[in-house]
Amino acid sequence: MSGGLAVTGLVVSPGGSQAPVLRGIDLEVSEGEIVAVVGPSGAGKTTLLRALAGLEKPEAGEIALGGVSQLRLPAHRRRIAMVFQEPRLLPHLSVEDNVGLPLRVGGVAKEARRQAARARLGEVGLGGFAERRVAGLSGGEQQRVSLARALCADPDLLLLDEPLAALDPNRRESLRVLLASVLTARRLTTLLVTHDRTEAAEMGDSIALMLEGSIVQHDEPSAMFERPASGVAARFFGISNLLRIPGGPPGQVWAIQPEHVAVGAGELTATVVESTYRGSRVRLVLDWQGQRVEAMVDPAEAPAAGALVGFTLPAERLWPLPGDASTGSRTPAEDAGQR
Amino acid sequence: MRERTARIAGSVALAALFVLPLAVLALQAVADSWSAPGVLPDNLGTRGFDVALRSGRAGEALANSIVIALATTVVALVIAWPAARAIGMRFQPPPTVFVVALALPLLMPSYLAGFGLTEWFIRLGIDGTLVGVVLSHVTFALPYAVLILISGFGRELNSLEEMAAASGVGPLERLRWVTLPSLRPTLAIAALLAFLVSWSQYGTSLAIGGGLPTLPVAMLPFVRTDPQVAAAMAILFLAPCVVALAVVARSARSPL
Repeated sequence: MSGGLAVTGLVVSPGGSQAPVLRGIDLEVSEGEIVAVVGPSGAGKTTLLRALAGLEKPEAGEIALGGVSQLRLPAHRRRIAMVFQEPRLLPHLSVEDNVGLPLRVGGVAKEARRQAARARLGEVGLGGFAERRVAGLSGGEQQRVSLARALCADPDLLLLDEPLAALDPNRRESLRVLLASVLTARRLTTLLVTHDRTEAAEMGDSIALMLEGSIVQHDEPSAMFERPASGVAARFFGISNLLRIPGGPPGQVWAIQPEHVAVGAGELTATVVESTYRGSRVRLVLDWQGQRVEAMVDPAEAPAAGALVGFTLPAERLWPLPGDASTGSRTPAEDAGQR
Repeated sequence: MRERTARIAGSVALAALFVLPLAVLALQAVADSWSAPGVLPDNLGTRGFDVALRSGRAGEALANSIVIALATTVVALVIAWPAARAIGMRFQPPPTVFVVALALPLLMPSYLAGFGLTEWFIRLGIDGTLVGVVLSHVTFALPYAVLILISGFGRELNSLEEMAAASGVGPLERLRWVTLPSLRPTLAIAALLAFLVSWSQYGTSLAIGGGLPTLPVAMLPFVRTDPQVAAAMAILFLAPCVVALAVVARSARSPL
């Protein structure tokens, strides 16, 4: 195992497109660290992984793995393995031969290759599947085979491109648990792309948020959810409350999660605009001096729409957004207009 | 029960449609004498094959045709591969303008193409040679090979090749383990068509080949003068096609 990954100033225009999809990516991943890369569709997450794997040619920047530049290496010479969103198995080979594919190049003897493939299959919970054809496997099983294949390459960096996205919720959960246990056990330097912020928080040691081809924030999961770097980052992590506080510093916008707004008592008062039942919680939208405040409350204590309620914004939960974050703030009227 | 009988009768009728002309051809080939209005020949014998092989040079023509058809197939596939890959990986399905442009050579009568090429091949010193005939056949086999191979390339193959590259598999092993198995059925059909196009070429073989006999060239003079010899040659003509078809059917049977 060598050192971590260092990406600096990476610019990529896939397929020679005119506008670059990656616009100067800087990213550090320590050895053994799992970084979850999140962002909306089209942010450039997959392009980043493809560039790291050698499937896209960067126009500028540097990719170093363990201190060694990867830019001049073709994809097959990089010690980087990738699990794609779809399993990409070879239908004419057995499960075992699919898993052992990376070992066909190293002059590895057939028996050693078989043993390695079977060991990796055991690791992903498919111990008895070696001789099977891939056509009969379920989507979840196929994705496990593709994970075993990536592990069989014994990479220094593992790239996971939304490996759970194509699965139904049950299979998704069981593969997520398996993936987490395999990554934790191996301490493999890993970049996991996902559009699911909860999955990112569960699996990543840190989270990198990508927007429009740049990484706008890279921090530990709790910081991403509680201390966003901008209004857009806040909204991506579900912090819908971006508020100006009367009497506070002029122009300062504060972020607070709906779960942390305490409704029921307090010196502040607002009108309930919306009250939506969501199973275990009720989502309230309040109009507070023309500002839109979201809160989550217990169904038993939920006020009806139109009621006047007291609430507090706990100081320890309020996070001042750095710089000018005014674009993230919305009023209830604007919100209604958008809908 | 009635349905089953109808199905069997249908199958027999269909088989007869293919087998009867062949049976008549085979009978004709071995009919040393067949006087009207007899339904079957009066005498059976091997005169047709004897004359074909001796005075008709069918043996030499058969050998030439096999060598030329195999060489044409290989050359056409080698040239078609990069062209089909470049088009197929980028455009799927290929734009009409590409298809039309690729098919244009097929619109020209083969004798005209052969006539045009002869002039040039004489200057190059390859007229009347196997190489010359192969190159002239490639003119007609290549469009088929490219048009068929294009359909084998595309996003799916590209994604498998990318996966292999990202799994540490180098270009040669990728070809061996990913590209060729994926393209196998398409490749087999392209090869079969290239082979058959060459096999049945008459115009270019006559124009370029000069005295070099190939089966269609050797057979034609006998069609009017001695139908038995022509039928014997046709049987010889058919055998390699059946073998080629069987090989392709086997290759195309286990697609990805």
